Amino acid sequence: MACFERASPALKEILLKIHRAEKPMEVDHNIHEFGSVNYHVQCSASEPLYTYLSISTPLLSQGSQLSSELQPHTLYMVKGICPDVMEIIKPPKQGYQLTLKLNFARIPHNKVSMKMITDISSIQAVILSSQLKDLLRKVDSQEVSREIYKPIKLIYHPREPFFVIKQLRKITAVFPMRFKENTDVIIATAFFQELMDVGSSGTFAKAPHCIWSPIPPPELRGEPIEDLSTNAGFVSFDITSRHVEGKKLDKTVWNLLNFYTLVKYHVKSTRGYIQRRMRMRLESLVQVLPET
Amino acid sequence: ANPLRLYLTCIRNTLEAAMCLQNFPCQEVERHNKPEVELKTSPELLLNPVKQADELENILTKKFLRFLSMRAEAFQVLRRKPVQGYDISFLITNYHCEEMQKHKLIDFIVQFMEDIDKEISELKLSVNTRGRIVATEFLKQFI
Repeated sequence: MACFERASPALKEILLKIHRAEKPMEVDHNIHEFGSVNYHVQCSASEPLYTYLSISTPLLSQGSQLSSELQPHTLYMVKGICPDVMEIIKPPKQGYQLTLKLNFARIPHNKVSMKMITDISSIQAVILSSQLKDLLRKVDSQEVSREIYKPIKLIYHPREPFFVIKQLRKITAVFPMRFKENTDVIIATAFFQELMDVGSSGTFAKAPHCIWSPIPPPELRGEPIEDLSTNAGFVSFDITSRHVEGKKLDKTVWNLLNFYTLVKYHVKSTRGYIQRRMRMRLESLVQVLPET
Repeated sequence: ANPLRLYLTCIRNTLEAAMCLQNFPCQEVERHNKPEVELKTSPELLLNPVKQADELENILTKKFLRFLSMRAEAFQVLRRKPVQGYDISFLITNYHCEEMQKHKLIDFIVQFMEDIDKEISELKLSVNTRGRIVATEFLKQFI
């Protein structure tokens, strides 16, 4: 699953430290995030101009096979992050999918440096987004292929696959929702009702049409039963060309990739809120008794 | 609000009649003093379940009443474990009747029920409002 921040805070901190150092420093640092994303940052005094950044991350895979190789369009998007500063090294460092050679001398020491380092630190988000971007770009494609109406299953986290279905003039993203506890199911379901309600209001006419259904939508007919077994229904978003124009493509992709995370975070924080309120109410209820 | 008011009035009247407990030694075993209310067929004071309109209210009610029951000692007259089939139970003994003023105890129970109902309604509204805010912010990202 993605997280809300695109840039890795830990990676950003190390890169900023290297960039701001007054003299060349020795760095050989490993960062582990979300249990499955690994970064390796290395620079040495003997090669002061360059810093090597390697990354290993689960990819958004298609179908049942989990992929680990970066596709050409992904590498193309990575190159576009900061083309003057970074160079892709082949082969990558062992154990990693990608190794970049960063030339910090090409990053100026002014306000621009923060943006550039933030962009470099967002490399995992770029990799993760690239495949879905490639799919959503074709939303308006008139080409009628075998893939139209056929659900494409995308997997980042094995327990949280979602589906993308290309249709005429739109692409539907369907999220099967599952939770371990019944309380979470009910809180999430209440949220999905609100999502539909807000989405159908005039203010959000331009947002993707959103539907929640307790049963699998017709687009997923024929998919394996294990993918269609849920306890909190299915949330679908209809993505049209207006949602992928220009800079909106990036935002739309990121929102979809973060949907599971958003829902889980909302459920967890709602549970915490309920607990806090109950505790506060307890104090006021108990206060009445001594007066009897 | 009117149906609740009628219900609470009925509870109040019932409590007025039921709360006539006195200390009385056991007539069967010497030097024993048993809770006859429990041993006889007369049921201890029981609350009918709070009205639950939907699943969200259902879980909020269960969570809240369980939360309170687990802290029963703070309420003195609350039972830690509700009687089977109910969400919450009070147990009022003759000692409570001796230590506390009867009409104030009844007021407390009736007020308690009102407060629970009000709290659950407010909690449900808050949960839905929070969901609405999150949904709004999420959809704003697309436009």
